[in-house]
Amino acid sequence: MEEPRIGVYVCWCGTNIAKMVDVEHVSKELEKLPDVIISRDYKYMCSDPGQDLIIKDIKENNLNRIVVSACSPRIHELTFHKAMEKAGLNPYLFEMANIREQDSWVHTDRKEATEKAKSLILGAINKVRWHEALEKRSVDINPDTLIIGGGIAGLTAALEIADAGKKVYLVEKTDKLGGHAANIDLTFPFMNSVQQMLNPKIEKVINHPNIELFLETRIDEAFGYVGNFETTIKKENEEIQLKFGNIIVATGLKTFDPGGIENYGYGKLPDVVTSSEFERMLKEGKIQTNAGNDPRHVAIIHCVGSRNSDFHEYCSRTCCMTALKYANQLRSALPEANIYEAYADMMAFGKGCEELYLATSRKNVTFLMFDQKDNLPKIRKADSKHNFEMLIEINDKLSGVTVDVPADLVILMVAQEAHENAKEVAHAVGVSMCGNAFYIEKHPKLDPVATTTDGVYVVGSCQAPKDIPDSVSQARAAAARILASISFGSVEVEVTTAVVNENLCCGCQTCINVCPYTAISYDEEKQVSVVNEILCKGCGTCGSTCPTGAIRSRHFTDQQILSQIEGLLSTVLELEEA
Amino acid sequence: MSYQPKIVSFLCNWCSYTGADLAGTSRMKYAPNVRIIRVMCSGRIEPTFVLKAFREGADGVLICGCHPGDCHYHEGNYKCLRRYYLLQKYIQQMGLKKERLRLEWISASEGKQFAELADEYTESIKELGPCKVKEVMEVLT
Amino acid sequence: MGKEEKPKLKLAIYWAAACGGCCVSVLDVHEKLLDVIAVADLVFWPIAIDIKYKDVEKMPDGYIDVTLFNGAIRNSENEYMARLLRLKTKILVAYGSCAHIGGIPGLANFSTREEIFKRVYEESESTVNPDKIRPQTEVEVEEGKLDLPEFFNDVMPLDEVVCVDYYLPGCPPQSERFFEVFTAIVNGLDLPPKKSVVGVTDKSQCDDCERKKTDNKLVKRFYRPHEIEDDGETCFLEQGVICLGPATRSGCGVRCIKGNAPCRGCYGPPPDVADPGAKMMSAIATMIDANDPEEIEEIIEQIDDPGGTFYRYSLPSAILRRTI
Repeated sequence: MEEPRIGVYVCWCGTNIAKMVDVEHVSKELEKLPDVIISRDYKYMCSDPGQDLIIKDIKENNLNRIVVSACSPRIHELTFHKAMEKAGLNPYLFEMANIREQDSWVHTDRKEATEKAKSLILGAINKVRWHEALEKRSVDINPDTLIIGGGIAGLTAALEIADAGKKVYLVEKTDKLGGHAANIDLTFPFMNSVQQMLNPKIEKVINHPNIELFLETRIDEAFGYVGNFETTIKKENEEIQLKFGNIIVATGLKTFDPGGIENYGYGKLPDVVTSSEFERMLKEGKIQTNAGNDPRHVAIIHCVGSRNSDFHEYCSRTCCMTALKYANQLRSALPEANIYEAYADMMAFGKGCEELYLATSRKNVTFLMFDQKDNLPKIRKADSKHNFEMLIEINDKLSGVTVDVPADLVILMVAQEAHENAKEVAHAVGVSMCGNAFYIEKHPKLDPVATTTDGVYVVGSCQAPKDIPDSVSQARAAAARILASISFGSVEVEVTTAVVNENLCCGCQTCINVCPYTAISYDEEKQVSVVNEILCKGCGTCGSTCPTGAIRSRHFTDQQILSQIEGLLSTVLELEEA
Repeated sequence: MSYQPKIVSFLCNWCSYTGADLAGTSRMKYAPNVRIIRVMCSGRIEPTFVLKAFREGADGVLICGCHPGDCHYHEGNYKCLRRYYLLQKYIQQMGLKKERLRLEWISASEGKQFAELADEYTESIKELGPCKVKEVMEVLT
Repeated sequence: MGKEEKPKLKLAIYWAAACGGCCVSVLDVHEKLLDVIAVADLVFWPIAIDIKYKDVEKMPDGYIDVTLFNGAIRNSENEYMARLLRLKTKILVAYGSCAHIGGIPGLANFSTREEIFKRVYEESESTVNPDKIRPQTEVEVEEGKLDLPEFFNDVMPLDEVVCVDYYLPGCPPQSERFFEVFTAIVNGLDLPPKKSVVGVTDKSQCDDCERKKTDNKLVKRFYRPHEIEDDGETCFLEQGVICLGPATRSGCGVRCIKGNAPCRGCYGPPPDVADPGAKMMSAIATMIDANDPEEIEEIIEQIDDPGGTFYRYSLPSAILRRTI
């Protein structure tokens, strides 16, 4: 191996890092290390001038290894890979030390944070010494797309791609298209009819020559990699093999079951209904109590199952506006009724929403504010002396008074939660879930529809609770991404794969079943294991299983990691500080 | 300054490392003793790394992976779990306290849990005091 | 004819902390020993010829062409002889597992010197030592003061105390391998780079093992070899018997496995493995067919002595070379 000539760059990230880590001191110290040719600190390494600094140094000083200590590699590793390429260096001769997310942002003692930064960078320098150039490979893209879920998001994505002339397989587990939107009467805040929007889309999907539709169908695990996936779908007793290049997951969500919230008596009190059940009443045009009467007092309770650590900490996002929509619809349908909105906080962001709140508040609707964390309203059956069905005890935060609100009908604005089979689908297509079982996007801000598995996109409410416009935007965004990749024709695949040294492999076959992607097979003739580098996703589990040391996990080799450990725990720079 | 243990932490890229990043973006504060090494999957972590960390002076080794069933690579974390138990038995035989090696599951959304874990683990290693492996291994007697 | 005129090689064989098996393995070349003697003078071999340490001390530096040093470094005498022979020898070969990686004597590194002395000189069932006399490093006798070797706390492989030119592993090395290596040296063939392991292949035991191997390496229960009815054909690992074959370098001719005993690792690590015990632990743990922590622990319970199992020969050269 060539002698390492390492360039080290310590980023200030404005004050984000520099405030807590003495970057100038760190970069000076690092210059003393063997093989470190250049060590610099700079305001923003990720900026164009920052990258140019690296490129210039590489060219002028013949650097062959680069360490950037800055933010998380999850954020800017690729940025610097590109800079490396610009300078004519293989991008894998690079390592990042995460001194922002995992150092300056989480510590309060400047001296300790500075020491830790040195240690992390020493680890990175030690690791990069052993890095090797890896050649990028690309594979052709199968232009067909699999879309899982036939709700508004799935339908939109399907049409977007199919209209561009590309084939779509649309798989829906129920017997009809439309998803949750199909159950909704009017949308907030502009009271458009959902059916008028949805039905033509469904019609078009069913008849589209580029869309192959599979209803009442489930998918098995998808194998392969971006550009070349395959799976088996199951429809009744039939199994169909599909091959496709990209996957859009649009599996939507389900609504929260409020039966577990004792205060609300759902399931016991017949006139306590969920928002979904009320939506059905609206669709049928019949707002009635269980006994068949027109309700004279209607209460709408917000945040049922949302924004409460006992259920879901997140905001379900659409319920406040839906509740306001209900108040408006109730006011039209029952002009004489008393309408109460019991809310915790009014979440009215988005186009036209605050305006809807204002308009609703002028329609003789009583707003009461309760404490969502500790003091939920309590619904009880009213005595027979009252001429209404229920009483809701609410500690109203606005007036500071506990009031009993009469109600004939109570609508619980139930939370939206991840699908019960979200996990199954996650496994089938290889996406990750966050703690609340919604799927995680690749980057919350900069890459909101891609996932960490290349070629798999998440759109609509399977990613987080969403309204229709957001679901549609995501669907179109994912479709655009996929169409772009199809039009490019090929895609770069993982190069940090495992590789078997055939001169060492003894053929024990311990590795073969360890691989979750069946990427390892046994070559009977050579009597060695062989890694299919296209199928390999680079997890490295086979490398750590191989007792012979014959499998190398590229970019995370034993030598690289052992060397990183040595650097991390090295005391060479500690003395300077003391 | 009081005794500051050195803790090496191996984190899988998809869940735990992301969780640790989240602790950062959320500006949570935790002890500076934990030094993180990123691997793609907890299934990549092998006993050699852990032993090497002790040999080079780590007072504790903290391994974090995706929660069972949530592994980005399906089952790598189970491989890690199996190795962890055997390694636990071995290091205790070698005279190390079992608390010096710990395995926890941290998801990508558990920044808070990671920060708390880092603090709590650092405290538990402080209670144990310095690990003598490096000292013992360096001097042949 | 030219060969006859070449001066004979000077060969030395020494045993440090060893069982004597390595010396016997040299004899095990049988009649070929005559070929050895024909081209080499044995200048030092305590087990076979009567030459004293002081005779070695008198030899000029580099006088001996090849020393086969077997046995680990257990005490100051071993260390002294290792340094002396290094000085006197051109090619120093760590011969056998103990000199190579510590070997069976290295298992003593699970105990301290004090623990060993206490056991041996006080507690052992056959010990009668009411005065609790312990080994001394010097003793007064009629003729004067005698210096005796000091028992070290740590067992060490040879290369912990001196530079080693080649390693010829095995417990003991396969006699044929010794003969091949010896012949190569005699004939002045191109020798491998210094510090190489010789008399081995780059592959591991499984490459030579004729047992049937498949990818079915899931284990619900581990067995000691005597606990199964071995069919003589199936890979030991697939029968739940821990065999260190895949993490052990090949060269022995799979002697143990051919004798229906699993490999115990005497030939040391394959070329790219730093710590074969750790590698093997990783592989064996991965084979456990359970994901539930309790079940995993139950299965691991069946591995009584992981240290002794996975580091039977290699403890003194392992990352953790002794208990702390």
